[in-house]
Amino acid sequence: MTFSMRRFQAIVQKEWKDAIKNPQVLLMAAMPIMFTLLFQRMGMEAGILLSMPILFVLSMTAAFVQASMVSEEKEKHTLRVLMLSPASAIEILFGKSFITMLISIVVVAISVVVVGPTLTMDYLWLVLMFLLALIMFIAIGTIIGLISRTVQETSISGLPVLLIFMVGPMFAPMLKNEFLETIVSYLPTDHLIHALTEITKGNGFSAIQGDFLNILIWTALSIPACLIIYRKRRFD
Amino acid sequence: MENIIEVKQLMKSFGSKTALKHIEFNVRKGEIFGFLGPSGSGKTTTIKILTSQLTLSAGEVHVFGKDITRTKDFSHLNRIGILTDNSGLYERLSVYDNLELFCKLYDVPLKRIDEVLGEVNLLQDKKALVKQLSKGMRQRVTLARALLHKPDLLFLDEPTSALDPKNTLHIHDSLRKLNAAGTTIFLTTHDMSEAEQLCDRIAFIHEGEISALDTPQNLRLMYSDHSITVVTEHNGKEIIVQDAAGIEKINEYMVNGQLQSIHSNEPTLGDIFVKLTGGNLQ
Repeated sequence: MTFSMRRFQAIVQKEWKDAIKNPQVLLMAAMPIMFTLLFQRMGMEAGILLSMPILFVLSMTAAFVQASMVSEEKEKHTLRVLMLSPASAIEILFGKSFITMLISIVVVAISVVVVGPTLTMDYLWLVLMFLLALIMFIAIGTIIGLISRTVQETSISGLPVLLIFMVGPMFAPMLKNEFLETIVSYLPTDHLIHALTEITKGNGFSAIQGDFLNILIWTALSIPACLIIYRKRRFD
Repeated sequence: MENIIEVKQLMKSFGSKTALKHIEFNVRKGEIFGFLGPSGSGKTTTIKILTSQLTLSAGEVHVFGKDITRTKDFSHLNRIGILTDNSGLYERLSVYDNLELFCKLYDVPLKRIDEVLGEVNLLQDKKALVKQLSKGMRQRVTLARALLHKPDLLFLDEPTSALDPKNTLHIHDSLRKLNAAGTTIFLTTHDMSEAEQLCDRIAFIHEGEISALDTPQNLRLMYSDHSITVVTEHNGKEIIVQDAAGIEKINEYMVNGQLQSIHSNEPTLGDIFVKLTGGNLQ
């Protein structure tokens, strides 16, 4: 089946109408901006200050919201109805992800404006890494949503996983546990923070190429994993 | 007559449990086919296989002449409408917004929304949010959605189970009109009078096997004990078997002017099901 822009737009339009009436989505979009404003008053340096809304957006605004939206479709049996319509798996997944992605990008953009770092050309690499990580987190959110049977189950099973991605890079060094630090060193969020710190220090792409490769691998693995699980778990 | 659905030796197992035991039936083009059975008898499993939501373990299933067990092209689903207990709605959206999405997915003009809402008696509620609707109203919205693209084949799983008598009659009228316009309907219901009123043919399924399949009239005749109930002036209600002695007795009542009423005793569909399975339909 060919990709239909008409069907994709119909799903995006539905997702938008649904998202703006969903308090969970609105809260998850507002919280990173509120945190940024709060931490800015504490006088943190730009790199660390920016890393907080970015990690929150990836784990919560993108992945957790996506997981909740997908599991809600399963719980309310609407995904089944969509699957039996002419919409293809790709149209449904892209349509569902588009609004999550758009909200996430807008929230990070507002956070960047609030923090106001001196932007250089090297930030383009950072933007690219963020977009790759965003795709990966939306794929992970979709997987969590497909595996969960209800929205509540998403919170129970998915939230701990996403929290590890979010707070792991921040707290693992404090725990001084070599095993934990090794695990966290493979997380894409750890690499994103490292890249952010390097770029804000004025270093170029050569300092972050390992981080870029890590996020690229995570993204490349998460998309097929998401499609496979979608085909297996799409019917509630 | 052309068959819209052909099922041959259909078997479905879930682990060690066999849900469907080599069932066979055809659904003819333009008919309303009733598929009746108690909970857990295999009705929903059959619908899920016919609509490609489940794969089968053995057998053959053709829908619109296409062997759906050996195809990766599911375009035939575009000609199908489905209403089941599990047909969900977007609760934060209005009735109109719910239907608008599917109009766009099926490439149907938006003016069709008002037509289907009229058919299910919900036109005045089109701006209402789905979460504010009663169960019966939601069921009518899902039916409206199933009708949006004028499907050639409609699967209805208990379409009137949550409706009041007035709306049930309204839906029955709509289904008859739809059927008269050429839509084939595959109906499951617990409501025997609904099956009797709507269905051209009925299959009883019990424990994964089809125990009877025919028109409602033929089924009643087939399982009738051929007795007659007469009401007479002096004796009141009396059941008489149709043999020589019984016929002579009725003649006698008629000659003497005692006969007040006479009815053949045909079993209801519910009676037939109990006879076939030893259980009831609930």
